[in-house]
Amino acid sequence: MRNPHHRSMLLLAALWLLLIVIFAAIRPAILQPSMIQSVLQFSSMLALVGLGQALLILSGAGLDLSVGGMVSLTSILTMLLVRAGVPAALIPALALAIGLCLGLVNGVLVVNFRLLSLIATLGSMFAYGGLALALTGGATVSGVPSWLLPWGRGTLAGVPAHFLTTVVPAYLIAAAVLALTPLGRWIFAMGNNERSARLVGIPVGRIRFTLYAISGLLSGLAGLISLAWFGSGRPDIGTNMELESLAAVLLGGVAIAGGRGGVGGVLAAVLLVVAVQAGLQYVNVSSSWQLGLVGLLLIVALTADRLPWGLRLRAKG
Amino acid sequence: MRKLRTILLRTACVTAALVIACASGRAKADDLPSVAFVPQLTGIPYFNAMQAGGEKAAKAFGVHFIYTGPVDANPVDQLQIVQNLVNQGVQAIAVSILDASSLAPVVAQAKAKGLKLFTSDSDAPKSGRAVYVAQATDDGLADTLIDELVKRTGPKATIGIVSGDATSSNLNTWIRLMQARVKEKYPGIRLLAPQFAGGSADRADQLASDLMTAHPDLKGLIAVASSTCPGVGQAIETAGKIGAVIGTGYCSPNTVRSYIKSGAFGFSVLWDPAALGYLTVWTGKQLIDNKPFAASNTVPGMDHPISYDAKTGILLLGSPSVFTKDNVDQFNF
Amino acid sequence: MRPRLWAGGGGRELTLLAGCLGTAIVFSLASPYFLLAANLATILRNSIELLVIGLGMTFVLAIGGIDVSVGLVMGLAAIGVGHALLAGLPLVLVVLAGPIAGALIGIMTGSVIVFGRIPAIVATVGLLGIYRTAIYAFLGGSWLSGLPGALTALVRMPLPGGVPLPLIVILLLYLVAYLLLRWTPFGLHLLAVGQDEERARLAGIAVRRVRFLAYVASGCLCGIAAVSYVGTYRNVEMTTGASMSLDAIAAVVLGGTSILGGRASLLGTMLGVLLLRMLVNGLTLIGVPSLWQSVVTGVLLLAALIAENVTTGQLPWVRLRRPVA
Repeated sequence: MRNPHHRSMLLLAALWLLLIVIFAAIRPAILQPSMIQSVLQFSSMLALVGLGQALLILSGAGLDLSVGGMVSLTSILTMLLVRAGVPAALIPALALAIGLCLGLVNGVLVVNFRLLSLIATLGSMFAYGGLALALTGGATVSGVPSWLLPWGRGTLAGVPAHFLTTVVPAYLIAAAVLALTPLGRWIFAMGNNERSARLVGIPVGRIRFTLYAISGLLSGLAGLISLAWFGSGRPDIGTNMELESLAAVLLGGVAIAGGRGGVGGVLAAVLLVVAVQAGLQYVNVSSSWQLGLVGLLLIVALTADRLPWGLRLRAKG
Repeated sequence: MRKLRTILLRTACVTAALVIACASGRAKADDLPSVAFVPQLTGIPYFNAMQAGGEKAAKAFGVHFIYTGPVDANPVDQLQIVQNLVNQGVQAIAVSILDASSLAPVVAQAKAKGLKLFTSDSDAPKSGRAVYVAQATDDGLADTLIDELVKRTGPKATIGIVSGDATSSNLNTWIRLMQARVKEKYPGIRLLAPQFAGGSADRADQLASDLMTAHPDLKGLIAVASSTCPGVGQAIETAGKIGAVIGTGYCSPNTVRSYIKSGAFGFSVLWDPAALGYLTVWTGKQLIDNKPFAASNTVPGMDHPISYDAKTGILLLGSPSVFTKDNVDQFNF
Repeated sequence: MRPRLWAGGGGRELTLLAGCLGTAIVFSLASPYFLLAANLATILRNSIELLVIGLGMTFVLAIGGIDVSVGLVMGLAAIGVGHALLAGLPLVLVVLAGPIAGALIGIMTGSVIVFGRIPAIVATVGLLGIYRTAIYAFLGGSWLSGLPGALTALVRMPLPGGVPLPLIVILLLYLVAYLLLRWTPFGLHLLAVGQDEERARLAGIAVRRVRFLAYVASGCLCGIAAVSYVGTYRNVEMTTGASMSLDAIAAVVLGGTSILGGRASLLGTMLGVLLLRMLVNGLTLIGVPSLWQSVVTGVLLLAALIAENVTTGQLPWVRLRRPVA
């Protein structure tokens, strides 16, 4: 099984198993339905944002550092517009539309203005995140209508409602597109070798543009979830999401250069990271250890990939 | 074979890390009732002092005290921790609220499980919390600070505000009340719009310096968040404006001792966070035992009675203390 | 082929210089306090850490790498310096504690990236978490404040002529870096590796060693920044340095160093840092709420890069009036 993607999947599966075994041994009460619900609840925003990142990275475009800022700004702008008189029934549509627009800006910066993704999204991260704080002066914007809250806080068949209605369909659609459609093959091709992809006639620019828009849309969706969950728009909700989602994507087996990986791994990695956090909190390990643990996880997972084991011929010195 | 070895190696590393991490967590004593306190963030002396007070009370009242909080002042992280405690079935959970919405999603679930959710140090008044353990009334804190500052700057002065996170609701409440106080009692005082330094002292230093430059007639600087205190004090010292600009804030004596002594800070307003932590754990125990609060309560281990306002559901620790050059050495927190 | 030291033939630096001057003029018109000596000194004082960290970041970007954990490296080194100060060690040791601690951490970063063969962005995101935990562990969950003033006196000490010591140190560091990049084999190798790693390897350059040393140098520089930080603010806490990594990347890229490697502009880095700090200071002086500052940073970064792409003819849909060389 030389396929590195399969290796990553196996690693993820092993880590999951390990997690369950360890926690079952130390504190069996951990494996209760409410814990699983909690994990799913807290994973949705990260999972959605991670999906957008994964698609962009797979296509070889690079990172999107502005996802956190997009989530914050979307939730703030949506509520500010409602406060200014827009009917509250439009909240879902507003959130998605705003997210889409913010993603489009990224697309324009990278595709039309030929900026590098890392830098363009660094700039838009500063701009979006800062705007969310500046427009509200740091205050939260309340006024989320109560009909939205059950979706954010309630469960359907034991699974958090928003997880079931957003994360699951999004990942299924993405997986289907990647595996079954020409678009999916093109994305992988672009990630593998951009020049060849262009020569073959794949509309690289247009696809990337669309993916930035989708990343924005998914961020907007995550912003909507935060509104339904907290009952208000918070300008700091997206902090740190860019690096967390990046860590999850990489842990999930997506190669940073693109062209390799799958979204299933990303979801598994997101759940793993949140589960580890939840588990550690349950046994009252200080939360400051969690950052280090996730970082260690990431490094260990990728190191062993590269070290020359056995008698593999060394092509590079 | 190689693939298997790789995977085994990787899982071994992670196992080791997880085991070490878990080993450092404390075991739960299943027979004692448990009271938890979730601060706004960990790693700052103010909340460390609350933790120390809470642990003292835990020993005195026979409860198991859990102290766990987010590393960033991030509401999602705080919510995750509270949610986790609810899942664990911790009987009394106190939270220092980052923002009112931090608690909303779990209140219903906690009530359903019969757990007591209450607030301490920072409140969410409309969230359905059982009680709020307050260090002092917000009005009292704001008024005391402004009154003491104006005593020193004179009734006609420009005063700057350096706050911490823009999203912190208790800080914003104090700022709002300070502005109200100034409007009501001191028309000659110009209170500048607050600047936000996030959580860092160096940013507070920079903002304070810039404020002093922008307003040469600045007579006072208020450091609202405890993390901004060293920054503001240092800025005044660096600018050589000791005496010309009076620094103050809600700062612990240990943090500002050197600045009070050098004169950069005229005084500091605070309360004893250890006592607050102590009271919080006592409150948790009372809630678990379903003992109601009287208008005036005697708490074993505390030297003065604690008042309770049934209308607002607030347990009051006492009035704020003012620390000056004369008494700052008497305290160690 | 001689690797170029000035990005784009000097265009970016000139633009930045013009930008700095323009900003200075605008702010001095808008606020009578901007040009005061005390204010300019404040701007300089607030730029020191970013200037030094930015220098290290320039090296890292030049070899085609990246490091999002630099701010935390400074934080860790600051803890070392702080403890040395508290322990009452002689000033020389306190000052050395910073660069030594920084270099050690740089060795760790470099090892993970170069010998662990993990892409820099991935590795440094992982190390970010690890260093954060380490800071918490070393601080013991509290913070160091009100540190003894011995270091502060050193950091503020004016040399003959009234020029503060840190300014001299920074100019020296930049000068040494310039000479290193321009005249030593190591410098040329560095830029060659950044430009095309495969070709550099074929040319016989010890690619891994060069990359490793770049990270160690960056760590060492973060340590030097830590010394200045502890001296200036006398405070080390959990959040120390947290925001500096992205600020450094923004400033260095603004300065003309390419994130792809092979091109380094030291003057650009310096101007980029100064421009950003001037903006932050000026905005506060004219009363713009501090929360708008990061928006301005982001927009400025994007505007500068877009402008560069427009003027260098990289955008086929923009027609310039005169032909581009």
